[in-house]
Amino acid sequence: MEKTRKLSRFLDPKLLASLSSMEIRARTVVEGMVEGLHKSPFKGFNVEFSEYRQYVPGDPLKDIDWKVYGRTDKFYIKEHEEETNLSGYLVMDTSGSMSYKGQGSLSKIDYASTLAASLAYLMLKQQDSVGLVTFANGLRRMIRPRTGMAHLKAVCNELEATRASEVTNIGASLDLVGQSMKKRGIFILFSDLMDNAEVIIQKLRQLRTRRHEIVLFHVLDRDEISFPFDDTTIFHDLEDESEIVTDAFQLRSEYLRRVRHLMNTFKSALRKSGIDYLIADTSMPLEANLRSFFSRRQAVGLR
Amino acid sequence: MSFASPWFLLGILGIAVPIYLHLYYRKTPVRKDFPSLRLIKLSVEFVARRKKVRNLLLMALRIAAIILVVMSLARPFLGQSASARNSSDTPAAFVVLLDNSMSMGCAHQGISVFNTARARALEILDQMQPGDRATVGLVNDPGRLIFPQLTWDQETLKKSVSNIPLSMAGTSIASSLLPALKLLSPLKAYRRAVYVITDMTESSWQPFIEKYDLAKVEPGIDLIMVPVGDTAPDNMAVTGIEVEAPVIMSGRQVPLKLTLANYSQRSRKARVTISINGERKLEEEIEVEANAVKDAKMMATFSATGMNQVTASIQSDAMPFDDQRHLAVRVFEPCRVLLIKPDSLPGQPENREDIFVRFALNPLNRSKDNNFAVDSRSTAEAKGADLRNYAVVCLINQRHLEPDLIKRLSEYLLAGGNLITFMGNRVEPEWYNKHLIDDLGGAYLLPARVYKRVGNAVSRSVGYQMTDIDTGHPAFSIFARDGTGDPGRAQIFEFFQVRPNPSALLLARMSHGLPGIVEEKRGRGRSLLVTFSADNSWTNWPVRPTWLPFLHQTLIAMITANELAIGSIRPGMPVSATITSEDARDMQLKQPDGTLLKLAVQTGVQGLVHFTSRDTDQTGYYQILSDGGKRTLSAFAVNPPPEESKLDRINLRRIPRFIPIAHEPGRGRSVKEKVSLLRDGYDLSGAALLTLLLLAVIESWFANLPTARRVE
Repeated sequence: MEKTRKLSRFLDPKLLASLSSMEIRARTVVEGMVEGLHKSPFKGFNVEFSEYRQYVPGDPLKDIDWKVYGRTDKFYIKEHEEETNLSGYLVMDTSGSMSYKGQGSLSKIDYASTLAASLAYLMLKQQDSVGLVTFANGLRRMIRPRTGMAHLKAVCNELEATRASEVTNIGASLDLVGQSMKKRGIFILFSDLMDNAEVIIQKLRQLRTRRHEIVLFHVLDRDEISFPFDDTTIFHDLEDESEIVTDAFQLRSEYLRRVRHLMNTFKSALRKSGIDYLIADTSMPLEANLRSFFSRRQAVGLR
Repeated sequence: MSFASPWFLLGILGIAVPIYLHLYYRKTPVRKDFPSLRLIKLSVEFVARRKKVRNLLLMALRIAAIILVVMSLARPFLGQSASARNSSDTPAAFVVLLDNSMSMGCAHQGISVFNTARARALEILDQMQPGDRATVGLVNDPGRLIFPQLTWDQETLKKSVSNIPLSMAGTSIASSLLPALKLLSPLKAYRRAVYVITDMTESSWQPFIEKYDLAKVEPGIDLIMVPVGDTAPDNMAVTGIEVEAPVIMSGRQVPLKLTLANYSQRSRKARVTISINGERKLEEEIEVEANAVKDAKMMATFSATGMNQVTASIQSDAMPFDDQRHLAVRVFEPCRVLLIKPDSLPGQPENREDIFVRFALNPLNRSKDNNFAVDSRSTAEAKGADLRNYAVVCLINQRHLEPDLIKRLSEYLLAGGNLITFMGNRVEPEWYNKHLIDDLGGAYLLPARVYKRVGNAVSRSVGYQMTDIDTGHPAFSIFARDGTGDPGRAQIFEFFQVRPNPSALLLARMSHGLPGIVEEKRGRGRSLLVTFSADNSWTNWPVRPTWLPFLHQTLIAMITANELAIGSIRPGMPVSATITSEDARDMQLKQPDGTLLKLAVQTGVQGLVHFTSRDTDQTGYYQILSDGGKRTLSAFAVNPPPEESKLDRINLRRIPRFIPIAHEPGRGRSVKEKVSLLRDGYDLSGAALLTLLLLAVIESWFANLPTARRVE
């Protein structure tokens, strides 16, 4: 009972019911061992029909579609695509900055964990495998991708057990994640990206060149986006514990300009590289973020 | 300390309001967690930089505001003059210099430039305030300050300006400007200025700015130029007239040299008329190129002896005062010269020792139309000659003279005759010294005592030359210029050693220092002693080219020596001369307009008197009369300076330190207003207050400009 309650903390049934009609389709064909709903670049027997093509000498005779020959007097080879399953990697930033909780009910890490659990559930439900990686200054914990709903429990437990702490070193962490991922798959990163933007973009591009599908949830609190402070304030850094005293009112416009600039930089640079960039505003309902994620995935898949 | 309304001091309690507001709004910073200070730190740096610039701008605005407040209270005045830098309450001391030189006499657009200048001077004097001091000066030659000291009497100054006449003189800026600066220099408590109202002719300003460094004028004194007469009108002038002959004899043709100047951009013809004593004698049309000066020669004959008036005139133009030029010349009767040569010995051919003198004085052996009429007689023939008929008597190598002739020669010399004595082999020094000097007492004939003979004319082993020639003496002055010959190149092989009298002049020495030619004034006449022969027996000078001019010049110098020659002078220049007391009886100066002025004489020594007159402002022919106007002692001409005819204007930028006040009638501010603005400057306190107001608005807007948007 206790376990069910813990699980439901992240898997809102109402939310999941609204998403059950959606199909998560990877944009590109990924390699997989398990037959599923996703297209496979490998062709073989007993798999889904792909296309006809004219016979050329050398093709095995067993592939000729004799029914078509009977209708058209021409030899056609019937080609098939192999159905495979999708390996999903949920990569969670657990640095100190993710512990921030502003006006909303969830801290940034809670919000990101809920989002990750929801996606894990949906992927496992359609026979895809899901893994989990947590990092801060380096890798903290890694759960290899597996299929089956039973694996959801392990993922959720790990998410729940993780506490946000330490400073962020996204670049080094992504390097380690990339080395440990043997198979191509979909790579979903949850982070507030409080690190050098250029390094982050460079590392994500490197992962992308290894044909991983990458989705980035930029998790930001409403306070970070709107900076709703007016008075002279002592700001305390949740990562390195440093402090700064400043007139927030005078600082606001410049801060907002920089935040917008940073988000635009990520957006344009990552989308150019074929990386999905989504802003996860913790003040927004989870459902809205998931919907925007799936709408975008669907649009990419149809392209 | 006391207060008229102490209840108002309760208003001090109002200071509690800002104190309360300050305390009420004072807040302590709140502590706030934030995911990462990365962006905040970057923003803080940027905002700090922006705030620094903003604060600097605010500081600049506030400094400017304080400066403007101080300036407004100090009542600033802006002006290019030193006067404007003083308070407007400071009294002024200034000098108005009015150019009344001849060039101001031309008309510009039908209006006399001088009248315009006078009007400008009156306008400047109108600006005198109570407490101001001023004087008026003239910029002619010689210029002067009409009132040597500054005066408060504005009316007297204006009256004097109204009465200033146009002068025919040139321009001397220094002669009035320097005294004006000297006058203003010690008055440091005043706002000082010198106004120069002038037509700015280049010919007068250029030498002035070349000679004087105006940049060194005390900076506290404003030099203000008030130009009148915009452009130089075309002008043609007679700028020179002279006789090109050393002496003028009646009935003889003499060349008159005329100088015409055409200061215009086109070639012009002028009809020149020469009048002698008011009678038109010559007329000729002469063309002069554009911006050129041309000399012309015309031959004239004078019939009357004594002083003659010569006038050269052309048709009148925009500058009428230089279209006429005058000359005073003295005309002599043809000069008769008596040569007394040694008697010829019986059975011997006629003595010809006079031949070189005779032919030098009459080279073409003409019986008439020659300047010198030469009578050559032997000693015996000369006994009966009336010496009064001769201007000069020459004694040539005489052994002995009859006592009667000696007596007559002495009388002739003292009465104004001229004697030239040539030595030779017949001369006996003892006889000469005894009979021509010692026996005559104060009426002696020779200017030097004669001693022994020096040299040997037979062997001609040693040739002496003349040195230390007195080229200042009229006899030798012709040789002072290069290319006119050198008498010192003549060889003298034998001569008499002489000892000049104390009052004698030594005109030339021999090469070893002994006297060669000696002259002495005797009574009204002159006696010249040549220590060698008049022919080529003792010297080769008579066959050299300098012999003829020497004799001519000597004779001319002798016959003109007693005449009072003044020549031509400029207007305003003093005329002075020393004459004998016999001539100085009841002297008068007759001016060109016929006015007779009595000449005051000062008694000098040795029967000589001196007179001086400054009444030479008019141009024309002046006569110096004696014996109550019965006798013309001399005459002279007063002519305008030729440089005044050149009316070209100097560029104002070439004159340092002067601030110009240009004025076109009917346009812009009047001269009065410009003078006032220049003196007081522009009052900037109003503008400063307006700017202060504007700055205050800008400052308050800028200071309250939001540095960030409020959170909605």
